[in-house]
Amino acid sequence: MRLRVIKAYFLKEMIELIRTKMITMPYLMPLLIVILFGYGIKMQVTGVRTLILDNDNSQISRKLILKFEHSKYFTTMVKNISEKDGLREIKKANIDALIIIPSSFEKNSLKGIKTEIGVFTDASFPSRATTISNYIQGVILDLANDFNIDDSGVININTRNLFNQALRDEEMIVPGLLGMVLLISPAILTALIIAKEKEMGTIFNFYSSSVSKGEFLVAKLSSIFFLVSINIFIVFLVASYLFDLPFRGSFFLFWLASEFYVFVALGFGLLVSIIASSQIVAIIVTLMLTIIPAFMYSGMIMPISSMSGEAFITAHIYPVMYYNHIIYDTFLIGQGFSSSTNILYLLLLFTYGVILFILGLLFLKKEIK
Amino acid sequence: MLEIKNLAVSHKKKIAIKKLNFQVNDGEIIGFIGADGAGKSSALNAIAGVIKFDGEIIYNDFSYKSPKEAEKVKHDIGYMPQGIGLVLYDTLTIKEHINFFVDIRDIKINKEFLEYKEHLLIMAGLENFLDRRAGDLSGGMMQKLSLVCTMLHRPKLLILDEPTTGVDPLSRIELWEILKQNAKEFNTISIISTAYMGEASKMDNILLFDEGEIIAKGTSSQLIEDIKPFVYENTETDKKHISISDTTYCLENLEIKHQKPTLESLFFVNALKKDKLLPKLQIAISKENMGENIVVMKASKVTKKFGDFYANKDVDCKLKSGEILGLLGANGAGKTTFIKMLLGLLPLDGGELKLFDKKIKNSEDRNELKSQIGYVSQHFALYDDMTVRENMMFFASIHKIDTKKTKQLINSYSKELGFEQYLDEMPKSLPLGINQRFSLAVSILHEPKVLFLDEPTSGVDAIARAQFWELLKELKNKRGISILITTHYMSEAEFCDRVVLLKDGQKIADDRVDNFYKKFPDAKSFEEIFLEYYR
Repeated sequence: MRLRVIKAYFLKEMIELIRTKMITMPYLMPLLIVILFGYGIKMQVTGVRTLILDNDNSQISRKLILKFEHSKYFTTMVKNISEKDGLREIKKANIDALIIIPSSFEKNSLKGIKTEIGVFTDASFPSRATTISNYIQGVILDLANDFNIDDSGVININTRNLFNQALRDEEMIVPGLLGMVLLISPAILTALIIAKEKEMGTIFNFYSSSVSKGEFLVAKLSSIFFLVSINIFIVFLVASYLFDLPFRGSFFLFWLASEFYVFVALGFGLLVSIIASSQIVAIIVTLMLTIIPAFMYSGMIMPISSMSGEAFITAHIYPVMYYNHIIYDTFLIGQGFSSSTNILYLLLLFTYGVILFILGLLFLKKEIK
Repeated sequence: MLEIKNLAVSHKKKIAIKKLNFQVNDGEIIGFIGADGAGKSSALNAIAGVIKFDGEIIYNDFSYKSPKEAEKVKHDIGYMPQGIGLVLYDTLTIKEHINFFVDIRDIKINKEFLEYKEHLLIMAGLENFLDRRAGDLSGGMMQKLSLVCTMLHRPKLLILDEPTTGVDPLSRIELWEILKQNAKEFNTISIISTAYMGEASKMDNILLFDEGEIIAKGTSSQLIEDIKPFVYENTETDKKHISISDTTYCLENLEIKHQKPTLESLFFVNALKKDKLLPKLQIAISKENMGENIVVMKASKVTKKFGDFYANKDVDCKLKSGEILGLLGANGAGKTTFIKMLLGLLPLDGGELKLFDKKIKNSEDRNELKSQIGYVSQHFALYDDMTVRENMMFFASIHKIDTKKTKQLINSYSKELGFEQYLDEMPKSLPLGINQRFSLAVSILHEPKVLFLDEPTSGVDAIARAQFWELLKELKNKRGISILITTHYMSEAEFCDRVVLLKDGQKIADDRVDNFYKKFPDAKSFEEIFLEYYR
């Protein structure tokens, strides 16, 4: 590994990026995505895993359960456990909502005595949580109608959002977006600066000289790594100030995870650039490989825990999930290094990056395909 | 010393090189000559160790059989692949290029190197442009810079793939001077491919490539001497022969005067030896004829600017009916820009263009004249996933020719232009020469009165080129079509009636072909004549 070669490529890359104005891409594109999506996303809900604790076991309460069971929006379970255990189920992310029907619900409501249904939702996904509680309210009001119960305050619905009490969409979406943009822009840039050399023919300077594969890759990747590393701080500032996100965890963990994650993204770009021989192919393939999974499996739209089958596996194959877990932790929870999951995920990200890099090194050939 | 043993290269399942054996001594310049697709580039790529190959290459007792093994000799190799400015980065200046290559080649910077670098830059005439970006250089300067960058680390084995193609004649001579001097001074082995036969005489040894094989070896005078008995003045004969313009090639003895052969003749003799006779191409006479001496196209002070850069500056020229006008110039001289303005594809920034007495300003003007214009673009705008026949049907329907007539036309043209057996194949799988003829057929389907051809002969082999020019003459003589053709082969001037020479967007010569010879009676070729104008 000769530093001189790396320096030469690094400098060349910087000059090219600046003069072609491509340098704006790692900064402008993520900002745009974060701002547009951060303000724009609203989500729809179906199949809410709902646990109903029926303490009344009356006609009305059974009717209510039936209503939930018949709705496509809910996947209902009825269990006979304590309220505390029910809440634990939410914490374990086994259910999304918990409905508690109080004893003597039928008696009180028919007599016109105030009674209270407890509704708890998992607010890890704020907009989802709001929607869920709205749906639940709708079902209950519908029930009240059926039995001609005066809906002005006889049945009181006491909604509680667990975990993310303030319930702001931004708090859940923006950290997820970080995982998206820090994957896409470095991957595209990496794919581009290698594919560009192939397309233009300048790759021959590498093919026909004694520059080693390692030198070439380190030189290429380090320039993008450098640019995107700055970006980590920028997106952090955007999240904290523009979207007013709390930051409860360790900044060091955030930074370290982000750098590892960017390393993974570079690996993606690298692999794409080995297949792609033109810039346009490089862009399209990288986008397909990053944007959709980053969005789908980030846990942003749908919690990973509520996925099943292939989706669950795919989510675990992509690195996005691991990074997002750490990001949510550093922004919203703050367990930091004390959580073994965080450390495990951090290591997974690093290993992921190393594996991609080694694959790139193996597949890159100093010859015309 | 470099020794090539049984070299074979296949590229994407196609055999590019069959079995190559040759030797080069230190200080020798060896030339690869042959058509596009003959396997020159594949051979060069293999020697440079950038493509998988079979066989063995031995360089100074070090043998390599794969690109991986070639790694060890790469510090000795200087390789410049095909394409103008291919290895340059558009946005980097000359100086930045030099620094980049010095670093990636890990060159020790000492007094000796600095002197060598200075020497190279002065020889290439680049010393005063160190801060200019590669993207702003002319084609010739780009190639000279590429060469300087390739030679910075003093390679002992210099491999250059068509370093002069598309470069203006003056830069070409300068490039050759650098190469010659380098070979002599440093005892470098140079392997150079070229599309210009004129350059062959500058080489110590020539390898003639055809279909992945070497078909002839020797110095240029030896090679010409060898085929002398087969080259005659144009005549009719029953024996197997090929007749092209004023020459007839025949392997058997004919009782007529011999013609002086050229290096191009090698290809025809080779075709005869391989029993590949050329179909006689003849075009049926059409009723319409425009009559002589009518001005079809007139350009006065035509100017086109891209930013600060003049692609065309005050170009005047005229095309008369029944005339072949050659627009000659190196890459980037402004030939394509001019044609694009003629077609109304680019707006003019100054001056006036008239076609059939109608001013051309935009594509709407052109639309009205569409039925009278035929056009073949630089890269033959054909659809790769449609067969030749389907392509022709499609283009005919664009011109609203009815199906019955289209079928007739396809039949007659495919016979006349000699691509009948390829009608149901995909253009991509066909040789460039066939595509070129079939593009020509497409462009004359609607019987235009004027034909614009943009570099139709670029990259096409000598035989196909000669045939193509014959066809153009036929079109001119039998149909009275006026033809405007651009080319960077200066030698093709002799096929034109009139030549306009462009340099950096400006016209530097414009005359009838015979007048050029009158002006320069001592000149041996058009290359030499045009060199005078470039100076």
